[in-house]
Amino acid sequence: MDMASSASAGKPASGGMASIKFGVFSNPGSHAGKSISQVRAEQGKLWGVPTDAAAHVGKTAVSEDYVIQEGDNVEFHRRAGEKG
Amino acid sequence: MTDEPRRLVVVGAGGVGTWLAQALVRMLEYKLPGSMLVIVDGDNFEQKNKERQSFKGAGNKADVLAHELQGDFPNTMIVPLAKWVVADEPESDEEEVDEDGVRSAGVVTASKLLQEDDVIYAVVDNFKARKDICDAARSYDNIDIFLGGNDEELYGSVYQYRRRDGVDITEHPSVRSEEYVNPPDRNPGELSCAERAEIDGGTQLIAANFGVVAFLLGRTQATILTDGNFLANDVKFDLGHGLAQAYDRTVEEAEVLATSSV
Repeated sequence: MDMASSASAGKPASGGMASIKFGVFSNPGSHAGKSISQVRAEQGKLWGVPTDAAAHVGKTAVSEDYVIQEGDNVEFHRRAGEKG
Repeated sequence: MTDEPRRLVVVGAGGVGTWLAQALVRMLEYKLPGSMLVIVDGDNFEQKNKERQSFKGAGNKADVLAHELQGDFPNTMIVPLAKWVVADEPESDEEEVDEDGVRSAGVVTASKLLQEDDVIYAVVDNFKARKDICDAARSYDNIDIFLGGNDEELYGSVYQYRRRDGVDITEHPSVRSEEYVNPPDRNPGELSCAERAEIDGGTQLIAANFGVVAFLLGRTQATILTDGNFLANDVKFDLGHGLAQAYDRTVEEAEVLATSSV
């Protein structure tokens, strides 16, 4: 897996639309301008996001200080079902 | 979509695989007669499996299930393969015997099992064997690998790794899933009899097994039997919440072109 990104370059005006997803959960809203750690704190307990769940924007893994851009689709990795 | 016979391979005849095989054989029998269904598993049925698995007799899972189904579906060739699927040939070809004197089922490498144009269902209960199958699939031009599993509650997921004309149409699962980069478990085919006996099957729910089967069948209907929506190639579901969400893991067109030009 790529882990390429750190903080995003230009900080956008806050309040733009972005989508946050984890497993079956989704929260499209005014997330642009927030950091990954901020949305993890906001949604983590509600959705049960593990503290070590990697965050991706598209295919790129992003760090906790990445600032969400307008139009981003942020996804916290939900481990696949293991048993069968 | 073609109505030509296909070869479908179910790897793992457990809480997902036994029910999945029973449904897939019906699809093949009536939609694609003359097809082949291969059932692969090195394990044996035990009475305790009846809580979540469908079988009538004792013995190797692949052998028992194939025998049970073949009588009812004469237009589908059902082939059992009583082996564990592994990545590499074992260093020793000595037959292993467990403490009860039962011979181990033996192994088949994923690269020997897979064929061009296969549709594979990797529904084993460990990530390592699924990874081995997906890694081997990279050597084939046209293949579909369905991955399916659930946790010990009501969450589950299915994933379709597709290759066409030698390039990935959907991402290899290791692109964004750590469990397919460094599997946290071990492939039973790479363990000794004693080690396999110590594996804890966990406490799964039949509802979650059926959820996985339902989504695998839905994706099969939509992308193998018909030309339906392919974009829902990664589905997460939670029966407790009554929710499912689909993700599109299609490789971007530019990336496909770049890969295919190498």
